[in-house]
Amino acid sequence: MNREEAISKLKDIVKPYVKDQEAFENLNESTDFINDLKINSANLVDIVLDVEEAFGIEIDNVSMEKMTSVNAALEIIDTKLAEK
Amino acid sequence: MIGNDVVDLALARTESNWKRKGFLQKIFTPNERSQILNSEKPEVKVWELWSRKEAAYKIWNRESNLRLYHPMKFECSDEISDYGKVSFENQVYFTNTDVSDERISSIAVCVKSDFDAIIHLKSRNGIVKENGIPSLNKKPVSISHHGRFEQIISIL
Repeated sequence: MNREEAISKLKDIVKPYVKDQEAFENLNESTDFINDLKINSANLVDIVLDVEEAFGIEIDNVSMEKMTSVNAALEIIDTKLAEK
Repeated sequence: MIGNDVVDLALARTESNWKRKGFLQKIFTPNERSQILNSEKPEVKVWELWSRKEAAYKIWNRESNLRLYHPMKFECSDEISDYGKVSFENQVYFTNTDVSDERISSIAVCVKSDFDAIIHLKSRNGIVKENGIPSLNKKPVSISHHGRFEQIISIL
């Protein structure tokens, strides 16, 4: 999967949790889930679970620690897909 | 330093499904999960523990200037007393939680006696942000807003 496909898949996942639609329209790799998209921190767990399902990977707690931005999420997805 | 967190239970009900597979396992330690599952009101317990973790995280985040999404590392003790404890590595934070049918709010402090010095502010008037941390007259402020509820606290 290339970066663009991964971003678009991730965008679909985060969409239902987004509180700032304008930031969502402008989503890019440096977008922060909490500071930019204003996603409720309890919903970050849902994003982690949704990413696990959609990409068929398992995200351990140490990886989850950093998963607060699009960039971090893409890196974790890449790493976990490579480990499969 | 101080931290707080408010949960609007009606909004939490629409935003999150705590019964979702894997949800509790990603957030709560085995001990916390047994507190939830043995509770008469498991849903309220979920948000009570969550708000304590969040309030303690706010202190840690402000003091360390670091970010971390690892709710399980902030573990709530289950002792029955006037206040709760949240441990992070070798640090202990004290929490005071208020539970009603509509909302749950937690305040975290580093020293127990600080609970007596907590003041509630009615508005954001005069609050300034320094390095992302709100303050009023050089005293730290913590603001939490969720759904219908907002809580702004400071310390004397």
